[in-house]
Amino acid sequence: MKKKLWTACLAAVLVLTLGGCSAETAGQHPEGVVDTEPDKGLEVMGNHVTYDPNHLVNDGQPVTLEWWLWDAPDLFGQMAEAYMEIHPNVTINIINNPWDGFWTKLPLALQKGEKGPTLFNVHNSYQHLLLPYMAPYDIDLDQMQEDFFTAASHVIDGQIYYTDFGVMTGAIYYNKEMWAAAGLTQEDIPKTWDEFREVAKKLTIVEDGKMVQAGFNYNGDFQNLMLGVPYQYGGTIFKEDMQTVSFTGEGMIKTAKMLKDMYRVDGIGSEDFGTDAAQSFGQGQSAMVYKWGHFYGYMNTNYPDIEYGAFEIPTVTENPFAYDRYNGEATPGINKNASPAQMEAAQDFIRFYLANTRIQKELCMYYSLFPASNALRDDPEMLENPAIAAVSEHIEDYIWPGPMPSTLEDNMKIAAQDIMYNDKEIEKTLKTAEDIVNVDLANIDFTSAENLYYKYGQEG
Amino acid sequence: MFWKRRPLQSKSEVVLRNIVVAFLVLHMGIFLIVPVIMAFAGSFHLWNPLNGTYKWIGLDNYVRMFQYPTFWTAMINTLVFCVVVVAFRVLLGLSLAYAITSKMTTKKTFFRTVFYMPTVTPLVAVAYVWKIMYNPQFGLIDQILGVDINWLYDSAFALPAVMAMTIWKDFGYAVILFMSGLMSVPSDYYEAAHIDGANAWKTFCYITLPLLKPTMIFVVITSVISYLQAYVPVMVMTDGGPGTATFLSSYLVYDQAFVKYNFGYASAIAFFILVLTAILTVISFTVTGEKPEKRRKRA
Repeated sequence: MKKKLWTACLAAVLVLTLGGCSAETAGQHPEGVVDTEPDKGLEVMGNHVTYDPNHLVNDGQPVTLEWWLWDAPDLFGQMAEAYMEIHPNVTINIINNPWDGFWTKLPLALQKGEKGPTLFNVHNSYQHLLLPYMAPYDIDLDQMQEDFFTAASHVIDGQIYYTDFGVMTGAIYYNKEMWAAAGLTQEDIPKTWDEFREVAKKLTIVEDGKMVQAGFNYNGDFQNLMLGVPYQYGGTIFKEDMQTVSFTGEGMIKTAKMLKDMYRVDGIGSEDFGTDAAQSFGQGQSAMVYKWGHFYGYMNTNYPDIEYGAFEIPTVTENPFAYDRYNGEATPGINKNASPAQMEAAQDFIRFYLANTRIQKELCMYYSLFPASNALRDDPEMLENPAIAAVSEHIEDYIWPGPMPSTLEDNMKIAAQDIMYNDKEIEKTLKTAEDIVNVDLANIDFTSAENLYYKYGQEG
Repeated sequence: MFWKRRPLQSKSEVVLRNIVVAFLVLHMGIFLIVPVIMAFAGSFHLWNPLNGTYKWIGLDNYVRMFQYPTFWTAMINTLVFCVVVVAFRVLLGLSLAYAITSKMTTKKTFFRTVFYMPTVTPLVAVAYVWKIMYNPQFGLIDQILGVDINWLYDSAFALPAVMAMTIWKDFGYAVILFMSGLMSVPSDYYEAAHIDGANAWKTFCYITLPLLKPTMIFVVITSVISYLQAYVPVMVMTDGGPGTATFLSSYLVYDQAFVKYNFGYASAIAFFILVLTAILTVISFTVTGEKPEKRRKRA
């Protein structure tokens, strides 16, 4: 009896352990019912991309879709619920996987064809892994471009497989209390890097030769600045072939030198003053940091008591070629091997997703993204978010380099650390990074979207 | 061989043996031999299983490996890491084991438990704790030593910092092994040495050390093999940085396979490490005068 009890306990522990390894199923619904009512009595949504809910999906017969994501299962779950309310025969099960395993599990699941998820969230840096398994959206291209200002940059062979629901870029976040303590006002918000360095000096506090407050802290963000600021000098990351990088342009080298001088010459920060700028800002040790939009959510979650504001990234000239680069948060992809019934429901859901302004707004607010939907561009509620407001004025003057494979950021991070921490020569280090990235890119099917930027060809 | 029955074996014993061996063979086949063969074949291909790329490129991955500066950085780091950590593991392990087994030491179980505790603590947890201890602003290490060093972001200190953590984590394993080795040395030898007038140092050099040779070889070889595969401390503590200052060979394999999805290239590096491990093992046996065949015969 005792043995049996032990065996049962062990088996239970095993089952629980294995259960812990599996993905989290956030919204498992029972099979949908037969829908016989095409007229839902609902209004048509959207401007150019429209969605008329008054129709039957899959002739009203039950169909189940799996939707894989790596974040915010409740938020996406609500969208699925809203759709299922209109079409009760469609069941959308949300499967939430952690980010780390997502990009290994998803392509392997999609290799299973129809058995893989019908819908899945996309991050554009993994486009090269996912594109072979994706079906194009069944939506008119011109209508998409009318409604979403970044849609044109996602056209592949005349079709769109995903687009952005919002875009994110960098801005300078500053601690309002420190700003006031240094005698600074709104008038002092810098427009150029020279002005910025002067402001940062005023915000820096050194006591007994030891830094106690950094004016500007970019620890952990050097590489992000390196992949954005050089555009202000008129340089691009990619060469004319759009498939190889150039890290040794004038803008790149000047940016690296400027950043290094901020610490070494101006003394407004230090690579040894904490290892993470975000944490340092949250702990009230650094007055200014350069961060992307998700920093708003990070601060609200981790440091809600810090009073801070945000302003647009300073520039080297009054009218830069581009202020910075941006990256988009993507709409879901559709499994091209889904069954015809699933495909019909998935395409219908995507149209609902894109035409529904409320969904777009909720997503952008959640992630602090500037909306890609033109209908939300001047939404006053969205502009209350400092991360969105800071970039709203010149959003057209931000460039998207394309779905950059991670090797760019990874190797730029290595180069950045070599420059800052290992004191390696800037030009030589950037050349090494450039060579490694170009070898990696040669093995990846990737083309930059820099040449789709409206000022491309007018760079300095 | 599984079906050959010896007279003294019972039927159930044979069945049990066959089941166990069959499971082991299956396990080794599925989880070791097949993947190794696949990786070897993959090292001659441009291989990304996630998007179905599998293109023959001959020796390109191997050529690229030798031309890649980070590869050499990683190999040198691995060499330094192995030599230093193994040396400290053996020295500390042997010294502490000798001290614990000494007649003068009381509370042997307590010391044995304390020294072995880091070994059974999960590596990821230990690495995170040490990462916090190394923090230049609030870390314990700077405060205790009264210095201002950014341990994990200074290329002069980053690798030694990771090595220090690894030594602390792993020396207990060597202590236990050396203790068992020391306890198995027959007391007659020590008594004879004592009668001959040998002092403690001579007894250690001429009796203890030679008799501990098999244990020493075991500790060194298993340590080298495990440190050639070390990547978790680097992943948790430094991400290979600053720059590539703490890239180890296995971290490079991980980075190429699971970050950049260059499985072919990662396989080529993994095979190089496999060959290197085999060579180092043979060298260890040769240097210590202990040949694998001899050990087999003795067994």
